[in-house]
Amino acid sequence: MNADLPLLKRTAKISYLEDRVVIEYLREEITLEGGAALLFGKIYPFLDGKTGLDGIADQVAVEPARVRSLTEELRRTGVVALVAPDDADPHAMTGREFYALHRRYVEHWLEPVYQHPLWERIVSGRASRAQVLGFAFEKYHYIEGAYEHMAVAAANATETMMPHLARHFIEEYTHGDIYRKGLRSLFDDDVIVRSQPLPSTRALVNFLSETAQRSSFAYYAGNELLQMTENTGDAAEGQSVDRFYDAMRTHYPYTDRLIASFIAHTQADQKLGHESVFAEMCASAPPLTRREACDALETTRFMAEHLTLFMDGIDTAYGRLTASPRPPSDLGTG
Amino acid sequence: MTITTERAYGARRVYETIPLDGEAVALRLSDRVIELGPKEAAFYDRVAEWLPSSRPLAALALDAGVGPAGLERRLGQLAEAGLLYRKDSLPAVVSGIELHRDYFAKLLPSWLDEAFSHPFWERMTSGGGSLRLFAGWLIELYHYTRNANRHMPLSCAHTRDKPLKALRAKHYAEEWNHYHYFMKSLKALGYSEPAVSSSVPLPMTLALSNFMRQAAREDILAYSICSAVLEGTTIERATYNPYYQRCAELYSVPNEAIQPIYAHLDLDVKYQHSDLFLDILKEVDVVPAARAGRILDYGHQLAEHIWLWTDNIERYYDREDNPMPRRPFDPRLE
Repeated sequence: MNADLPLLKRTAKISYLEDRVVIEYLREEITLEGGAALLFGKIYPFLDGKTGLDGIADQVAVEPARVRSLTEELRRTGVVALVAPDDADPHAMTGREFYALHRRYVEHWLEPVYQHPLWERIVSGRASRAQVLGFAFEKYHYIEGAYEHMAVAAANATETMMPHLARHFIEEYTHGDIYRKGLRSLFDDDVIVRSQPLPSTRALVNFLSETAQRSSFAYYAGNELLQMTENTGDAAEGQSVDRFYDAMRTHYPYTDRLIASFIAHTQADQKLGHESVFAEMCASAPPLTRREACDALETTRFMAEHLTLFMDGIDTAYGRLTASPRPPSDLGTG
Repeated sequence: MTITTERAYGARRVYETIPLDGEAVALRLSDRVIELGPKEAAFYDRVAEWLPSSRPLAALALDAGVGPAGLERRLGQLAEAGLLYRKDSLPAVVSGIELHRDYFAKLLPSWLDEAFSHPFWERMTSGGGSLRLFAGWLIELYHYTRNANRHMPLSCAHTRDKPLKALRAKHYAEEWNHYHYFMKSLKALGYSEPAVSSSVPLPMTLALSNFMRQAAREDILAYSICSAVLEGTTIERATYNPYYQRCAELYSVPNEAIQPIYAHLDLDVKYQHSDLFLDILKEVDVVPAARAGRILDYGHQLAEHIWLWTDNIERYYDREDNPMPRRPFDPRLE
């Protein structure tokens, strides 16, 4: 449609090389060569969501069909969107469309979590005892946080979301005890339950709770990002997790029973089959307004950032700002 | 021996460990610096690791190569030096005024030192920073100050005592719109009002206000100590002038961008907000030890939040390709 205005996504990174143009967008790399690269160079300044296809063709003195063909190719990759001049449509996308979009962004947003230096530090044995124990304690605090955010989510659920959120809380509120059992191989129960999480872990739990209070759908969209970091039983994924635990056992033999608790938790999660709930929820959801979709995606992006913060906290605070475990203050602590 | 007797001591919080010659160290506590020779330092490390663990006292004695009497004597020496304290020597209750005078006022300088011990500050004042980092810090301060509206009124809503909620409400009335000062500064640095007001905070900026909301819901005194730690950074001009003055010189920050910050800080001093916590505690006759410990935890954790907040700001704004200010997420544009 001529009325559509092509818009290049602002997160796309463009590199002009000698004979081609490389566009990095989310987790994809799009390479344009020859005539396509030359044409892109000409139309790039006009992919601003304000100029129509015919207008661009006029500006760069190129056949409209060529401009249309290239922008259509780029639209298929997602790096260019065709936006309507009138942005009044309240139903921006279906639940299924939202799910597909959400999945695509989440894979991109999770990259800093998967590439976090803490993993390599543990695998190579360079992590300190405080960081390794801190990792176990913070995982415990995060999972134990189900008592807060999942309960808040159930208590504030919309009518349609209530069965999902109630089930979620009821099925998961005991999972913190799995980690607690592992930590009991090294610490008294009282030390574990009274230990204080890092601010960055509180940040993650608080963000979940605040969202749960505000919007059931945005909460579940954000929660889905966390769900996607769980080991689903996929063979390749499983092998990589096994290698991580093997290295951890080798370098930190005292973590054997902690690792057993991590594995027990993964197995408990796998049995619940939560990985398909969000897809089913989106498939049956009424169409979302653009505002609802943006809010749920913004929440999900924030969730990824909070998860990165959770990793940063363990990596930078343990052994530098704080010991592990972190006992509560009393009048003698100072 | 019973478990209680075994863990008769608690460890004082160590704010800084300074390596000396050989294996000797200096440990900075809130009220003193203690130098330990190599043997004493090794013994102290063993004790600090053993205290929260589930290992029996006999295991510590074995590790230290001493008998029960020798162990008791050496633990007593650490207590005499101030590194340990006997739990049975702590009061069961304190008055509000005692909590302020004997604990908060004595601990605040160490908490603030810890909060501002992030290398960011040295980097900024020694010329290794940038105008971008300076402005980034201001953007997050704008968001933090605007987000006061998310937690200050909440603290009133969750307080049952009339004198306390009246004090908190007055504080809110005096502070609710102070984000305009930072907006003025940012406009002087060339940022437009719509770009700043529609921007989204960093996750740790949001976490700080979410932590305040957590405190507001849990305990008005826990909330008030957090507020007091923040106000503690603005007691007098001498504490904040050097940073802004130095940054203005180093990064060519225009005077119009600095003046609103001073005006804001001067207003805080004029309102005597740093005295508010004492005014609140004067209204509280008795604070049980467990509640006092929890309140002190909140105060210290707020200081930890500031450190991690600074870390988050430096990481984000150091990257030239990160949008500044941060834009809200829009799937059409990203």
